[in-house]
Amino acid sequence: MIYFALLILVIISYLFYYIGKKRALNLKFNGNIKLSSQPDYFGYYVVLMALIPALLMWFGLLLFKGNFQEMFVMSPILFPDISTWSDGKLGLILNKLNNLSVIVNLPLDDLTNGEKSILNMASENELTAAKNLANFDKIYGWANLTLFIILPIILGFLATRSISGKLNAQPIVEKIITYIIKGSSYIAILITIGIFLSLVFEAINFFRYVNPVDFFFSTGWNPNRAFVVDASEGFDKDDLENAFGFIPLLTGTLLIATVAMIVAIPLGLMSAIYLAEYASKRVRDIAKPIIEILAGIPTVVYGFFAALSLAPFIKDVGESVGLPVSAESALAAGLAMGVMIIPFVSSLSDDVIKAVPQSLRDGSYALGATRSETIKKVILPAALAGIMGSFLLAVSRAIGETMIVVMAASLRANLTFNPLEPATTITTQIVTSLIGDVEFDNPKTLVAFALGLTLFLMTLLLNILAITIVKKYREKYE
Amino acid sequence: MVEQVNSFAIKTKNVSVHYGNKMAIDDVTINFTKNDVTSLIGPSGCGKSTFLRCLNRMNDVIDSCKVQGEFLLNGVTDIYGDSIQVETLREKIGMVFQKPNPFPKSIFENVAYGPKIHGLASTQSELNDIVMESLNRAGLYDEVKDRMDDIATGLSGGQQQRLCIARAIAIRPEIILMDEPCSALDPIATARIEELINELRENYTIIIVTHSMSQASRISQRTAFFHLGKLIEHGDTSKIFTKPDKEQTNDYITGRFG
Ligand SMILES: Nc1ncnc2c1ncn2[C@@H]1O[C@H](COP(=O)(O)OP(=O)(O)O)[C@@H](O)[C@H]1O
Ligand SMILES: [Mg+2]
Repeated sequence: MIYFALLILVIISYLFYYIGKKRALNLKFNGNIKLSSQPDYFGYYVVLMALIPALLMWFGLLLFKGNFQEMFVMSPILFPDISTWSDGKLGLILNKLNNLSVIVNLPLDDLTNGEKSILNMASENELTAAKNLANFDKIYGWANLTLFIILPIILGFLATRSISGKLNAQPIVEKIITYIIKGSSYIAILITIGIFLSLVFEAINFFRYVNPVDFFFSTGWNPNRAFVVDASEGFDKDDLENAFGFIPLLTGTLLIATVAMIVAIPLGLMSAIYLAEYASKRVRDIAKPIIEILAGIPTVVYGFFAALSLAPFIKDVGESVGLPVSAESALAAGLAMGVMIIPFVSSLSDDVIKAVPQSLRDGSYALGATRSETIKKVILPAALAGIMGSFLLAVSRAIGETMIVVMAASLRANLTFNPLEPATTITTQIVTSLIGDVEFDNPKTLVAFALGLTLFLMTLLLNILAITIVKKYREKYE
Repeated sequence: MVEQVNSFAIKTKNVSVHYGNKMAIDDVTINFTKNDVTSLIGPSGCGKSTFLRCLNRMNDVIDSCKVQGEFLLNGVTDIYGDSIQVETLREKIGMVFQKPNPFPKSIFENVAYGPKIHGLASTQSELNDIVMESLNRAGLYDEVKDRMDDIATGLSGGQQQRLCIARAIAIRPEIILMDEPCSALDPIATARIEELINELRENYTIIIVTHSMSQASRISQRTAFFHLGKLIEHGDTSKIFTKPDKEQTNDYITGRFG
């Protein structure tokens, strides 16, 4: 229904564009009236005038649909004790009424036995409410249709009639479009702020149970200690003492990210140097996209590659030389992640190396330097800041990566710097804490927000640093 | 004019250059006398830069560029032959470019770059001496002596170009190629460089591309006029600018085309 209405709306706006433009052209050539804007703008003017009020009202209806519905359906007249209902009960009843409303107006013969028994079990008031609901849905549907078709047509004709020599459509149209563009960017910003704030508020909730000092500095991570049958009975302070220590997660994250960078930096940088300085154009055109595909492989694929192939392989190799290797070693997760972020290093580094002006290469060659001397002594130093920026972006990607570590890393928090041992990461623990029974009055769940906030701040800092460095580097040549 | 074989810094014969299928230099034969400044003049796109870049093989890096003909350094060494490595060749034939291109390093490091690569100094103090002497010769020392560790890209355009000259002479070349070294500079900086070229002439053979005929007449002893990839006329600057043999040359210098 709504898609049908949208389609009609598109057609209507198309028509109005032509009607508006046509009228403007008519005035100009047949009426000999001097217009103050190009005819196109009158077309846009009519479209905007016809559509915007309808869209705004439609949005308003959508926003307040719930309120209207309650006014008619969940009213104290039908349900006198409604103010004493819990949220859960309200939801259940509303759900029941929704189901009822579909069948309440159908003739009895068309109903299945199941549907008949639902009707029979409903109380008189519930049936009335369901009928109201059905009527409301009908009215709401018609209101939408009116808004979508009749209102735009009326407004469109009014706008068309208002076209005259005096109407200057261009500034009006441009102003409206500017508002629309502005609005879109504000929405994006607001969403970002909203996400951030929701993280902050939930994290604050978490810190009501757990002392921030304990969280950031204690070394024990045992969130199951916060498991109680009923959270309303409260938590024993001693239980929470060593339950949410962030340190082992941080070391685990850094350990795995370090392994990843040890893989990605040399491979990425060297392939960048090869691509930018040695490869012929043909090789470059083929090789660069192929390397970039590495970044496009879904991380879950890396995850099972790491968990099913890499980890057993590392374990076998380790054991054959007498090293005890865990089945979920940090090494396996780090290696897979390292391969994934190679393109972050290589692609960005390749770009900054390419951006070093040819005149610097010429200057070096003209002094009798070889190609490798030129790369070592002129090009890499000149591109250094940009290359560092690419490293930082890769680190931030590694720290934020979830899927690979969820699949390949351990769940056990383990304060270690030995890559052959299991380690867990911040992202893994966020996932675990939100799986299963999620109760938002329990620190076991809420910790996800504290972890998420910390992670967000860490990667944000890295990104800001990387962007500042890259920017500074760019300025040097512009 | 009777000249000794070894009085030519570079001799070239039947030089042709193609970019892909497009001919840029067409059968040019020209010899450059030692310790002279030779100007290459001609309308834009006539192949002056292309020809200049053949002399120290800077065209090697351009894949599509094919160079044919004979090039002899000091009358004996085949520039494109196996007997000399391109790095050694460029040690002997330095180059200064149209746009100043100092490395984004300190002033000192810029000048020390060449000597370090070719191992011209065995101690730090020798290196200091080379850098100081080169900056001195390029007439830049007094201006930068207090900020040798500052980044070179912070210098003015004219200073940067003199730094590039200092950088080129720090490896003690015999010949310096210059491709419109003043075209990005203001008149005062230009005058400074012209003065410098005049001084350098004592110790170096200089081949300079210029689009300014007044500059050519001010600084060079010999002038070669190129047109559409061909060498039209080559001779003493005074003669080229007063009574050229070819009508085309005359048209160009009197400003009738180009
Ligand atoms: N890298 C290149 N690839 C292809 N053609 C080039 C290249 N460099 C120069 N040319 C062409 O060669 C001709 C001579 O150019 P150039 O030597 O730069 O002339 P000039 O320095 O006298 O202005 C021009 O037609 C130019 O388009
Ligand atoms: Mg040129």
